[in-house]
Amino acid sequence: MSVFKDMKAISQGMWITWKHLLRKPVTISYPEVKRTPPPRYRARIVLTRDPEGGERCVACYLCSAACPVDCISLQAAERDDGRRYAAWFRINFSRCIFCGLCAEACPTMAIQMTPDYELCTRDIMSLLYEKEDLLVDGCGNDPDYNFYRHSGIGLVNPRGGNQDENPPVDVRGLAP
Amino acid sequence: MPGLIIDDIPVEVPAGTTVIEAARSVGIWIPHFCYHPALGSVGACRLCAVKLLDGPVKGIQMSCMLPVQEGMVVSTTDAEAQAMRRNVIEWLMINHPHDCPVCDEGGECTLQDYTIAGGHGLRRYDGKKRTYHNQELGPHIQHEMNRCIHCYRCVRFYQEQAGGTDFGVMGSGARVYFGRFKEGALDSPFSGNLVDVCPTGVFTDKTSRFRARYWDYDMAPSLCPGCSLGCNITPVARYRELLKIKARRNDGVNGWFICDRGRFGGREVNDPARPRAPRVDGVDVPWDQALDTFVLRLGELLATHGAGSLALVGSPRLPLEGQLLLARLAEIVSPGNVCWFTTAGEARGVLAALETLPPEGVASLADVRGAGCVVILGVDLLAEAPMMALAVRQAWRNGAKVYVMGISEWTFGSFLGISVTPVSSLDEVPPAERVKPVLIGNSRDLPSARVDEKLWGGARVALLQSGPNAVGAALLSVDHDGASLEELLASGRIKGVVAVEADIPGSWLAGIPFVAALDWRQTETVAVAQLLLPTTSWLEMDGTFINYEGRAQRFLKVMNPGIPLRGLDPTLHPPRIHRSVPPGGDLRPAWRLLAHLVERLGGRSPESPFTGRWERLRDLHPEGEGIMVYTHGSDSSEGGG
Ligand code: SF4
Ligand code: SF4
Ligand code: SF4
Ligand code: SF4
Repeated sequence: MSVFKDMKAISQGMWITWKHLLRKPVTISYPEVKRTPPPRYRARIVLTRDPEGGERCVACYLCSAACPVDCISLQAAERDDGRRYAAWFRINFSRCIFCGLCAEACPTMAIQMTPDYELCTRDIMSLLYEKEDLLVDGCGNDPDYNFYRHSGIGLVNPRGGNQDENPPVDVRGLAP
Repeated sequence: MPGLIIDDIPVEVPAGTTVIEAARSVGIWIPHFCYHPALGSVGACRLCAVKLLDGPVKGIQMSCMLPVQEGMVVSTTDAEAQAMRRNVIEWLMINHPHDCPVCDEGGECTLQDYTIAGGHGLRRYDGKKRTYHNQELGPHIQHEMNRCIHCYRCVRFYQEQAGGTDFGVMGSGARVYFGRFKEGALDSPFSGNLVDVCPTGVFTDKTSRFRARYWDYDMAPSLCPGCSLGCNITPVARYRELLKIKARRNDGVNGWFICDRGRFGGREVNDPARPRAPRVDGVDVPWDQALDTFVLRLGELLATHGAGSLALVGSPRLPLEGQLLLARLAEIVSPGNVCWFTTAGEARGVLAALETLPPEGVASLADVRGAGCVVILGVDLLAEAPMMALAVRQAWRNGAKVYVMGISEWTFGSFLGISVTPVSSLDEVPPAERVKPVLIGNSRDLPSARVDEKLWGGARVALLQSGPNAVGAALLSVDHDGASLEELLASGRIKGVVAVEADIPGSWLAGIPFVAALDWRQTETVAVAQLLLPTTSWLEMDGTFINYEGRAQRFLKVMNPGIPLRGLDPTLHPPRIHRSVPPGGDLRPAWRLLAHLVERLGGRSPESPFTGRWERLRDLHPEGEGIMVYTHGSDSSEGGG
């Protein structure tokens, strides 16, 4: 009896419709109401600092090489004490696709993603973030990590003074 | 010719060849750190392990230390050989610092590449690492000794190849150290090659310290304009700025190395104050207006003072394309009044040099390296053409006797670490010693280079010239009866001068009513010119130079012209307005400007600078050994083979 079959199908469909009509909606009235994204959500990029408060970024160019849309540009420079840093560091957020590859490539934990997704603006030029806009106070992930405590160039610790290093060899020593 | 089999490929190589070289000859690349084609083998790094499956030797062997023997069967892919290479990398990394992000070698590092290739991604050893103190090695080279893998390449280059004595290897056991006995600038005029030969980041170029990474470099095969030898280089640029220069291999010319003058020179291309806009009477104007003014004033000059009142001047540093089109332009506007040399002496020397070369020909740098007897005729090679001096040292190392005439044998010999015999004339060189002789002189003082063909039969001669393209200038001078500007000015008829990348003293131009300059350098000539058309430097265009031996070589464009980002007003970057050329980047190659003028004044556009006898240079490849355009004994207007 196809009539009964059709009536069953219609009432089933209507049942689902009515059920959803009476349910609490999933949409929220953004921007009056805002969602809290999960902590590992990938949005606005920041440059973090090491536990001592120094800029973590050593301007190694790995993030700009990893970026699939080429939106990171920077210039490395040398500080008087030999520390390598970014003289300028620029992310073009109008191009960024928030893929997180830069943060994955970063060997110093400097560049990190934050859950701050509210970047929209009518002035596209204001989406060019300079180093001053990107740099935050704080370590973010890996709060204990300071690259210079592991590299061999002797900057935070004296040469040969890192935990995993022996003191510099005495080249003129005669011991076997 | 022993025959062997490498990875199932039969190979035949001359006796004495090592397995690593034999493999390379059939395109099999065996990883290595310490072996270098120019420095030979020492077997220090143990990375080039291969397994010999059959034949006179068996088992794991170092392919760089093993001369080929008949019947060898070599496997580079054998599991045991691979495991050995993998372990060698891991051993080398035990003491290696965690430096890649702050190491300038990163991205162009042999150690990094092989570590990745060997699959050693995570450190398993948790003992402590060895460290060293660094040395201050002067303004050009940065030292970071922790990164050393003890391959001995640096010391083999510095002491054996270049004859330096102030740098070497010290210490013993695990404390082996590569440096100077005392801190201080490196003495050798070839010290920059340490950057190229070191497979790690121990020696990096201080002048480009922390400036860019390999994958961002603008690079192209190019030529050094520092002297007339025409050494092959790879300039490295970024953001319109020349950062550093690396040597490029050319076995017929410089081999694997270049001198420090070539490596650390040439930075004037970065000058933001270089001529960057066309200028008429001291005012910057648009290109159209400048070219119109040029044509107008040229017409006025010729109308007032008649044909023959205009001199067109090229130079030995102008690439061949520009030199050829200058000749074309001269045929249209001022036939007979074209020259490529400024002073008469320079012109006479270079022209005579073409004529006096003995039939056996010119000595290339490769010929010098293989010479049996070298006589240096009063040129200070270390000041004028350092790579020639390095070639002389290689000849000496192979047993050649070196004689010097008219220079201090002490400075020459001691800087190169070779023993030289001073002589006061060519006759003093014992005839028995004259085997495969090479005479090295400078075209400037030609009389002393004239040799008695009977006594010196078979000698090859190397005559240094006044610029990277002086031979091109000389060949054109012969074709077009061009003399020198000095002689043209002496005639008193010249009322206008068009200087194309020519260095004319300002005082010579004082009484000349019309001076136009096409140049990329801020020269005296540019300063006095009423009309300036800025050109691109040799790094910003393709071109051709003919070196001292008559070898035409092509160089390619390395970077776009424009004010380097470093010299730019920071408010201009990032640009807030869209433009198609960067600031200060609207420059044109001299030959294009000349081609434009030929078209406007002659009515017909020159299809290519290379026509007639020059046609075969049209497709000259920058990576080859170049083409010889001049051989003595053949009619120079035909060009030799
Ligand atoms: S990868 Fe990290 S350290 Fe390197 S340039 Fe980017 S942010 Fe700086
Ligand atoms: S030498 Fe090579 S492997 Fe070592 S720190 Fe430098 S880039 Fe990394
Ligand atoms: S300094 Fe460089 S070239 Fe010299 S031994 Fe060490 S790794 Fe080799
Ligand atoms: S020898 Fe001359 S051409 Fe060669 S690198 Fe030195 S300056 Fe340049």
